[in-house]
Amino acid sequence: MQSSSIVGARAVLIIGGILLMLVGAYQLVTTQRIDQLFGLALWMLGAIVLHDGILSPIVLFANVLLKRSGRRMPWSVLVVIQIAVVVGSVLTLIVVPEIAGQLRGPANPTILTGDYGLRLAVMWGVLLVIAAIISAVLVRRGKRPADELVKPAAV
Amino acid sequence: MRRLLYDARVALESPSRTPRMAVVVGRLLGIAFLLCFGTGLYSHFIQHPADGMFFPNQPYWIYQLNQGIHVTTGIVCIPLILAKLWTVYPNLFGYPAIKDKLAILERGSIAIFIGASIVQLVIGLLNTYQSLVAPFYFLQVHYGLSFVIIGSLAIHIAVKLPIISRYWRKPADGHDGELEAYESLPVTEPAPTAFQGITGRVMSYIDGAPTAPSKVSRRGFLGALGATSAAAVVLTVGQTFEPLAATNAFGPREKGTGPQGVPINRTSKQAKVTDSAMDPNWALAVRNGDQEVSVSRADLAAMQQYDVQLPIACVEGWSQMASWRGVRLSELMAAVGITAANSVRIQSLEEKGAYRETTMDANFVQDPTTLVALQLNGEDLDLEHGYPARIIAPGRPGVLQTKWLATLEVI
Repeated sequence: MQSSSIVGARAVLIIGGILLMLVGAYQLVTTQRIDQLFGLALWMLGAIVLHDGILSPIVLFANVLLKRSGRRMPWSVLVVIQIAVVVGSVLTLIVVPEIAGQLRGPANPTILTGDYGLRLAVMWGVLLVIAAIISAVLVRRGKRPADELVKPAAV
Repeated sequence: MRRLLYDARVALESPSRTPRMAVVVGRLLGIAFLLCFGTGLYSHFIQHPADGMFFPNQPYWIYQLNQGIHVTTGIVCIPLILAKLWTVYPNLFGYPAIKDKLAILERGSIAIFIGASIVQLVIGLLNTYQSLVAPFYFLQVHYGLSFVIIGSLAIHIAVKLPIISRYWRKPADGHDGELEAYESLPVTEPAPTAFQGITGRVMSYIDGAPTAPSKVSRRGFLGALGATSAAAVVLTVGQTFEPLAATNAFGPREKGTGPQGVPINRTSKQAKVTDSAMDPNWALAVRNGDQEVSVSRADLAAMQQYDVQLPIACVEGWSQMASWRGVRLSELMAAVGITAANSVRIQSLEEKGAYRETTMDANFVQDPTTLVALQLNGEDLDLEHGYPARIIAPGRPGVLQTKWLATLEVI
């Protein structure tokens, strides 16, 4: 892209973006009380802190732990395990609030009708089985030299 | 401090954390956000139309599709935004934290963008099962935040435009920008030597973990993102998409539940109509200016009855197909001399509530499948479904399918 067209596109995006944000801000300040706006700001700040300060470090260390304990595995198997853990964890993140909502009592009996705890357990079981099967296949095929083993890292 | 930030970035280095990957995931997230924004606006304006707006009454599934996309895409945004944040997380530890004026705008807009996006997804998800307990009003905040998010997204794209245009396609040399991501690292930075103290132990523990080959790392990352998104869709979309009803493990609503096999949103108790709706003297007031007729349930049942198949499609993203039987709204309104250009104001017995009164545009009124329904799935309407009579129309959200009818007025 030419630098002049970048400048032009930037100007349009920034002006448009600021206008949209003003529309949103106007909508918020005209419908919420001061304490509600403060509450919203606190939630936004909390969301960032929760992600950057808690969730990300947990993910980092879980990943390190997995890699260190899996250092004798072929990379392909390690990746399969990583994928299974990610799928399970993110879905757990989505489903746990449903279980909490169920415990608090849904607004009517047609909301949150499932046994989500049991289904979550079944999902983890299914993930485990799928990961195990794929890993077994990969290990069998992985006898070839192309599939390098994880080298112990020099500290 | 500088050293600490440097170490943090080195520790977070990964072959998947490249500008190219940020662009790939960012594109997907951008599309998903725009889908949510567009469908959200449709849903907002069909409930709160501005002057001159037109909404199609057919195909009958248009709102069902709109809202299914809105909620399902919103759920997929959760793995997408986590992935996007993962690819750029090391940038959090950039040094110096603020380089120039553009960087202030960038960091500021990113903070608002991320904070607003996460809050938006969380409150949206919780609201699909009415479990949100927040110190603010959901509806107005969800609507207002959507503009803030799309606006700050536009600014974010503007700031990153050179990187986006550079890595829009995979660079021919296969170089994903691993180095550029860290280009601000001074070359003269002391090489990591023996670590000391707690930080040192932590750092050496992290460094002890092997690094995956680039290709494996990138494939694993995209594989995880793809598998998580696919699983999230397949395990929830069945709450609205019939063919996948069997795999709906985690959707908050399930097909075929509730009285007469149809889930409900607002109960008769919440609406405080348990007495008024069961009153044997109930009659529907049908009005046009000074002209008014009062129609009892027996009168309605004596008119020509029609059977239609229409879904209840809720703003919360679930939907349920059902068989309805009742009187055509257009034929009923003909009794008070409605013309093809008139809209109808619909009022419920409900005394309070945002949806006790709605307006229906002429194209919906004249649609032959729009009924004042008396029966659902072969039985008289359950009280929870709007006994003695309710509106059922194609292409409208569930909250506008007014239950416990009180008056219909030509406007």
